[in-house]
Amino acid sequence: MFNRTKLVAGVSLLSAIFVLAGTSAAFGQSGSTKDRWLHVRVINSDNKGETVRVNIPLELAENVLPTINKNHLHNGKVTIDQAHMNDVDVHALLNAIRTAKDGEYVTVQGTDQDVRVAKEGGRLLVHVKDNKGSKSNKSDVDIKIPMHVIDALFSAGKDELDVVAGLHALALLGDTELVSVKSEDSTVRVWMDSKNSSD
Amino acid sequence: MLLAKIALGLASTVAFAAIYTFREGVIRVEVDEYRAGGSHVHLWVPAAAVPIALRCTPRNHLENAAVKIQPWMPTIRQLAKELEKYPEANLVEVVDGDDYVQIRTHAGKLQIDVHEPGESVHVAFPISTLEEISGQLTENIPGA
Repeated sequence: MFNRTKLVAGVSLLSAIFVLAGTSAAFGQSGSTKDRWLHVRVINSDNKGETVRVNIPLELAENVLPTINKNHLHNGKVTIDQAHMNDVDVHALLNAIRTAKDGEYVTVQGTDQDVRVAKEGGRLLVHVKDNKGSKSNKSDVDIKIPMHVIDALFSAGKDELDVVAGLHALALLGDTELVSVKSEDSTVRVWMDSKNSSD
Repeated sequence: MLLAKIALGLASTVAFAAIYTFREGVIRVEVDEYRAGGSHVHLWVPAAAVPIALRCTPRNHLENAAVKIQPWMPTIRQLAKELEKYPEANLVEVVDGDDYVQIRTHAGKLQIDVHEPGESVHVAFPISTLEEISGQLTENIPGA
């Protein structure tokens, strides 16, 4: 049951964890973690109309995650398998991006996809637009990754992602959209605000 | 006169029991199968009875359960503690045609509702019960 929806929701949640958006400088707001909620909404506009709504208080996630010790997750940190990093020094790469000026880093305009990676207002922006395939398969993906959240994520060490630190950094932000995926038959949205419901 | 005293004693006991039960809340489990011969289980148990029931459960069964759930015990306890801060929240909602799943907190209870064509399951229990159960299971971990 809900296989497709679960998949999309899973991808969205993972995206949310990795994106953990916004900078206080960029958004000019701060708040306590207590009233911050992370929302994930997936809507499929097919005939069954699958909808997934997840609303998680950031403080709850921050306090519960460190208690989970399973597989790659330990004490709120995810161990990165170096075998899947293709010998890329992520810390060096991030440091280079952090110190670089705002601007467009990657712009690809292809027949299949348009890809844009840029740094703007302390955020890393990724935009992917599908050009190929049927109308229903085309999608627009927007991801906004604040640099200070990325810093927090990679603050644990070389082989770890500190998810709790990332969540904490995220909680200091104002209302913000993190991930947006739009296609003909489905929309995915991951955002953060102070409401305890998604609509 | 004696009968009146007995009646007063009984009435007071019932009143105190009722107040205690309502204060602690009720665990509700409802399973309905909408087909010929399908079962309909409706269970309402005072949450206050759970710790008593756990104390009456044979120790070896509790130890088995405690050992199995041990890795998740800190998570359950922390989750219960955190959920108490959010007495009214829709945490997860999935709608897929006629299928529906909702996990939410309402009036200090954790509610799980699942609807499928031909079957529905509703479970609701006070969040504080989670803490109590995990606490008692922790006590029963061998060597703890």
